[in-house]
Amino acid sequence: MAKAALETVEKETKQYIVVKVGNEQYGIDISYVDNIVRMQKITRVPKAQNYFKGIINLRGEIVPVMSIRIKMDLPDDVFTNASRIIIVKIEEKGSMGIIVDQVKEVVTLSRDDIERVTNKGRFINGIGTHGDELISLFEINAIIEENV
Amino acid sequence: MDVSQYLDVFIDEANEHLQSLSDCIMTLEKEPENMDTINEIFRAAHSLKGMAGTMGFKRMQHLTHDMENVFQEVRSGKIKVDSAMIDLLFKCLDAIEGYQDNIRATSDEGTEDNDIIIKELNDFIAAANGEKPKAGEKAEQKAEQKPEAAAENEKRFLEFELNDSEKDKIRSSEESGLHIYGLTVYIQKECLLKAARAFLVFKAVEEYGEILVYNPSSQEIEDEHFDCDFSFYIGSSEEYDKIFQAAKAVSEIDDVIGEEVHYETLVAKQEKAENDAAAEEAKAAKETESEVEKTSAPAAETPVAAPSAAAAPAKQQAAAGSKKQTIAKPVTNRTVRVDIEKLDALMNQVSELIIAKNSLVSISSTEAADFQNQSFREQIEYLERITTTLHESVMKVRMVPIESVVNKFPRMIRDLCRKLDKKMDLYMSGEDTELDRTVVDQIGDPLQHLLRNSADHGLEDNETRVAKGKPEVGSIFLKAFQEGNNVIIEVGDDGSGIDVEAVRSKAIERGVITEEQADMMTQKEIINLLFLPSFSMAKKITDISGRGVGLDVVKSNIEALGGDVEVKTQLGEGTTFTVRLPLTLAIIQALMVEIRDEKYAIALGSISNIEDIPVKDIKYVEAEEVIHLRGKVIPLFRMDQVLDFEPREEEPESLTVVIVKKGDSLAGLVVDNLMGQQEIVIKSLGKYINNTKLISGATILGDGEVALILDVNTLM
Repeated sequence: MAKAALETVEKETKQYIVVKVGNEQYGIDISYVDNIVRMQKITRVPKAQNYFKGIINLRGEIVPVMSIRIKMDLPDDVFTNASRIIIVKIEEKGSMGIIVDQVKEVVTLSRDDIERVTNKGRFINGIGTHGDELISLFEINAIIEENV
Repeated sequence: MDVSQYLDVFIDEANEHLQSLSDCIMTLEKEPENMDTINEIFRAAHSLKGMAGTMGFKRMQHLTHDMENVFQEVRSGKIKVDSAMIDLLFKCLDAIEGYQDNIRATSDEGTEDNDIIIKELNDFIAAANGEKPKAGEKAEQKAEQKPEAAAENEKRFLEFELNDSEKDKIRSSEESGLHIYGLTVYIQKECLLKAARAFLVFKAVEEYGEILVYNPSSQEIEDEHFDCDFSFYIGSSEEYDKIFQAAKAVSEIDDVIGEEVHYETLVAKQEKAENDAAAEEAKAAKETESEVEKTSAPAAETPVAAPSAAAAPAKQQAAAGSKKQTIAKPVTNRTVRVDIEKLDALMNQVSELIIAKNSLVSISSTEAADFQNQSFREQIEYLERITTTLHESVMKVRMVPIESVVNKFPRMIRDLCRKLDKKMDLYMSGEDTELDRTVVDQIGDPLQHLLRNSADHGLEDNETRVAKGKPEVGSIFLKAFQEGNNVIIEVGDDGSGIDVEAVRSKAIERGVITEEQADMMTQKEIINLLFLPSFSMAKKITDISGRGVGLDVVKSNIEALGGDVEVKTQLGEGTTFTVRLPLTLAIIQALMVEIRDEKYAIALGSISNIEDIPVKDIKYVEAEEVIHLRGKVIPLFRMDQVLDFEPREEEPESLTVVIVKKGDSLAGLVVDNLMGQQEIVIKSLGKYINNTKLISGATILGDGEVALILDVNTLM
């Protein structure tokens, strides 16, 4: 999976939305991102997978919202004023919300800024360097995959 | 010619014709002498041929053409309908359906020629002709409907008289080195704009040369003063075939007949005709007459040429035939074909409207003084009424009878009779029951599965039936009817029923359940094991059923449509599967309830009544809570527990219980608060969340909040 992604980014630069989850900074490929919304009421769905917080009404559409923290075995989310839901859109399967603690900025990374990693965890496909900060890059497809 | 824009229409109409063919052939099997049916089949095959030809599907055209030929023979009484023939005809239908599928998928008919079927068809004709060689030969010639084989008297261009100036034209063209061709074009009888077709033909052939003589005159053709045929002479430097193809390519043209002519022969013929006028006139008239018959009613064609004694009954038949044709032709319906996608779009907009209306309603019911205005409230109520009616109308538009799905089943059962060597009859009722189009489209496979199941596993073979004292011929029934917000389709048989003990031991043997579990299970629960994946009771695998991909697929398909399926069986007497489907997929009336601090919707259609039950009235059966209400014992579900809430510390004295029903079974749902009735738009939870069947979707409330919809059927 990481390999396929590698080929597509070979030459060009890519934009990432930098978010904070816990103490770490993560980058989400901007081409997947449909929208960023403030925290709103999430309706719990009983018996769903534990990492699903529930569903929200996004302008008349029902969108499921997942907790990336639970999926990454981190402590459960604490919603603050800075919490946001990143709405990512994947062909065919539709939209999904991912809760993050904070949205920081949008950065442009070229290939040289990104170090590909495969051993950093299931959801990370690379580490980007921006200034003196390190950004772990999410592999969106792995995150939305069901039985991880 | 670009015909792609007609493709949808073609597919729709071809389906209709195929269906009517299938129905008629079924009827024909029972009443091989039924002339009406034979005519009907002939017409359907003929229309199919014409349509396929127009669309350029040559193979399909060829096959239908040969089918038509066989019926020609049947109609003239030279072939008797027997079961071998019926089988063959069904094979043809399957082949045509094959073409259809290809066309639907790729806009092309594919490359399967179906030579074997065509050969068999021709063998039939040959066999018929072999018995009566003389009459047969002639009939075949006529049936062939190809220009070279067609009877000479169809070349009508030879018949009309040429005046001097026309003769001159022809002669001068010929002298200038052009070929002269005479053509007669037959337009389909159903064609509405004959003049336009004629114009198209002229336009097409004039690319190759100049039309010298028209008959009827061009003015008459323009004014549509002609029957179904017209003739012309054309001078051209091209081959005849090119002109022929050009004329033939125009749609709604039945046939084109023509050949190269020479001035000399033409004139000679005319002169001869004039000379023999007296003698020939009568005969010519008769020929024309019989030809008129031919064009106006191919139904009545008899191979016998025109001695008047024979011609008279033939003519009568022709009249009868053409009369029936007009009757059979559907009266122009005041209907419009609409793409389902457009309806979906409309439905979505109505959904949006209802959500918007709901939020207006919720705003208006707030305490704010601004909204206490009398007339404002009246308008809101008015709006509510309108949106509800609008929604109902849109729903009705989307409803189609299940007929289109179930009417292929008689044929299937017939085939199964043969394959399984069991005698059985299918009884259907309620074919006119209507369901949402999307549901109807997807209900075919599950029903088919259930019917096959009944035929294969349900019914015993004939000997066993007789030995058991049952009627030899097994019956399978399919019953559809509406019940509240649901449509019920029952598929059953009067066969041996399900042997619960056998299912139980099989389940234990397969390790699906343990012996102890089995002892705990009710009969119903054990029967429901049949719906588990890869649980087949078939002793041997046939190509009809028994592969273990049966009932579980049925169940999941039906559940995907928001319905459910249950089974009732009586050992020795039969089995009935009951499929329950929601009338609509999109918008329902629901009761909103609160369970703790969450809001849930329960479809109004499944609610029987609502009760306040004092806690002390709760009884226990096998450690499960039940209530005893008007002579019925109803299991109680604490919805807060079902939905994984933390248990409450202290219990109220009285519980609000929503009694829901599914068929005969009832269940009581304990909720905390009733919020009232509301029209809700069902939205799917999407593909990510795999949740239990208990939540069938979500809806957006007036204040923008999301509420989940409980599918109470899963509790029972």
